[in-house]
Amino acid sequence: MRQIAIYGKGGIGKSTTTQNLTAGLGEKGKKVMIVGCDPKADSTRLILGGLAQRSVLDTIREEGEEVGLETISRRGAFGIICVESGGPEPGVGCAGRGIITSINMLETLGAYTEDLDYVFYDVLGDVVCGGFAMPIREGKAQEIYIVASGEMMALYAANNICKGIQKYATSGGTRLGGIICNSRKVDGEKELLEAFAKELGSQLIYFVPRDNVVQRAEINKKTVIEFDPSHTQADVYRGLATAVDENDMFVIPKPMKQERLEEILMEYGILDA
Amino acid sequence: MAINLRRSEAVIREKRLKSVVGYQGSIKDLANKSQSGCLKNARRGFSQAANCSSGCAQGHLSTILDAAVVNHAPIGCAADVIGANTGFRWGQNIRNWEKRNVRIINTNMTESATVFGGGKLLKEGIREAYRRFNPKAIFVTTSCASGIIGDDVESILREEEEDLGIPVVPVFCEGFRSQIWATGFDAVFHALLTRIVKPPEKKRPEMVNVINFTASAREYVKEMFAELGLVPQFGIPYSTIDQISRMSEAGATISICGTLGGYFGNGLEQKFGVPYVTTLQPHGISGIDNWLRNLGKVLGKEKEVEDYIAKQKILIKPELDEIKSKLKGKRVVVGMGPSFSHNYIRLLEDFGMEVVWGMAWHFDPQHDHGGLPHCTMELAKKERDIPASVSDQQNHEVLNLLNKLKPDIYIGRHPGLSVWATKMGIPTIMVSDEYSAFGYKGTIDFGYRIIDVLTNNSFARNLSKRIKLPYTDWWFEQEPFIFLDDEELKKNAASS
Repeated sequence: MRQIAIYGKGGIGKSTTTQNLTAGLGEKGKKVMIVGCDPKADSTRLILGGLAQRSVLDTIREEGEEVGLETISRRGAFGIICVESGGPEPGVGCAGRGIITSINMLETLGAYTEDLDYVFYDVLGDVVCGGFAMPIREGKAQEIYIVASGEMMALYAANNICKGIQKYATSGGTRLGGIICNSRKVDGEKELLEAFAKELGSQLIYFVPRDNVVQRAEINKKTVIEFDPSHTQADVYRGLATAVDENDMFVIPKPMKQERLEEILMEYGILDA
Repeated sequence: MAINLRRSEAVIREKRLKSVVGYQGSIKDLANKSQSGCLKNARRGFSQAANCSSGCAQGHLSTILDAAVVNHAPIGCAADVIGANTGFRWGQNIRNWEKRNVRIINTNMTESATVFGGGKLLKEGIREAYRRFNPKAIFVTTSCASGIIGDDVESILREEEEDLGIPVVPVFCEGFRSQIWATGFDAVFHALLTRIVKPPEKKRPEMVNVINFTASAREYVKEMFAELGLVPQFGIPYSTIDQISRMSEAGATISICGTLGGYFGNGLEQKFGVPYVTTLQPHGISGIDNWLRNLGKVLGKEKEVEDYIAKQKILIKPELDEIKSKLKGKRVVVGMGPSFSHNYIRLLEDFGMEVVWGMAWHFDPQHDHGGLPHCTMELAKKERDIPASVSDQQNHEVLNLLNKLKPDIYIGRHPGLSVWATKMGIPTIMVSDEYSAFGYKGTIDFGYRIIDVLTNNSFARNLSKRIKLPYTDWWFEQEPFIFLDDEELKKNAASS
């Protein structure tokens, strides 16, 4: 069983990318579970066809500790099992502790069954405290992919996240598997991301071009592969799925200084005057 | 239900055993509900401070002679060290050892640690504990603060263990995990079972692990066991890491307390095949009979046990008869942990006293090895049903009850409550030694102790004349369990 964590700047397209990528894996016959690690609980909407899922933490809060696996996990498109951790509303409580509690509960309930090929943790954008690093602690996700674009803020965030990963990678077994570019149609984006990934010691594992069909599928609460299986974008996600499935480059990232990041941006980002 | 030793945390009692801290009714009803899966925890609209499972964990660990404890917490959590140290000094005292303090370090997490993470403080604490105490193992207890900020205690400890070359073991006992402080003991036993007890290199079938607290009666137990060809190994307190690691070699495990011993006893059986002797507690004659007989059954010493029991019965008969005649009909209220409470109720009833109310500080409707606790089942078999309640202390409830029942004597465990009964003018015995009323001699001694306290009740009388209780008249006029949110009670009240 491969456990994979997906990180990246808030709003960059982690949940969209994760669900579309796992659709590709599911279509290939892989047994996949998605664990949403975001208080917004919106990591599985496209696989389940809606936001109806009861989160682990909501269930604990309403029904006490008597939670059964059937209540909190549901099977969606391509047989993908979906779990949402959930968490507090904005402005209250501690979402980080929520992730810890939720993942502990899943382990206690035996959600990680032997027959699973993949477990994906879709983690909230800014890894602001210990709790959000729960998925990459020892014994959980051994592989991390960071979703980024050519925008400076996305790269800044990706670099920052690598600092956290480096800390956990040096003491445990987790590794960076690569950067996934979710294109924002920035100039020279692909080359920029390739250089960025190389500087980290990693790779741009896949370039996902921007296409409206993704939004159209989202509005229809579906992944692209389900919504329009013959579309070129569906093949893109199938390609991403294969790239992840066959990946064998796992590194301890080397986060760069701010000056170096800005150098790279200057070099690749704004080439044509 | 099997104990899950693959996780790094013990499952809390509320989840594992469906344990409760709020109930009012009777022993038969409690037994009935427990056995049909209907026992629901009643919550309280008003609750007083109880106890913290972290304090239990820390205190119990600090009695391991060559280990050190690092409490990764803000300094307030170290308040429990005072009680732990007092207990530890008492244990050293009765062994005539030179006394020293407990070896507990607190990492003093301040606001800065909660913002930036406590990893650095934890490492410093571990190094300091190693430097000061040169221990054979270090146990790190967690706290609410370290739990909320999500310090990755496990991986920090793994690194330290590699560097220091001794076990550095996490003990997950955040106070917010469980309302039942016995969960703290489970956390300790879980850490010992998963990280300290080793697979047996050889078996010592004559050795019996005796799970207890201070072992004040160890000479008496050694004597008793010698008649059966057995040797007791007392623990966890006052034993060493090495001794604990070899508890897997024993022929059997038995406990002084049903609540304390279950996790470790069942864990040793599950992981290392050491049979756990499930039995009544050895308090009172029927208790010690059962304790020894069940031990004998497991180890094939039935004949030796019967011979011993027969001899003892003859020896104690005259004094036992005298005690029964003096105590007949005396009214008593009991307030102790669940196993102690229900075992003491039995022994007091055996003396011919009338237990007018039995309180337990929590209740486990099932054991880790399954089934309703024996001591409760025994009581439920009696003809007379005994009124009972469950509360995590809750002094206001207890004192209101005592005020209405006005027993001849109150017998309790756990400080901070027993003294209040005395202040009400009720003669009280605070049973702090777990071996009080142990065995044949102990039962006789305890019987005389009760007689003494009943005869000379001047302390309670005089104290109560000089103390104004901190409760209003209004409170004492209310029903004691008025804050208990019990649907059935409400239904009954509504229909009456």
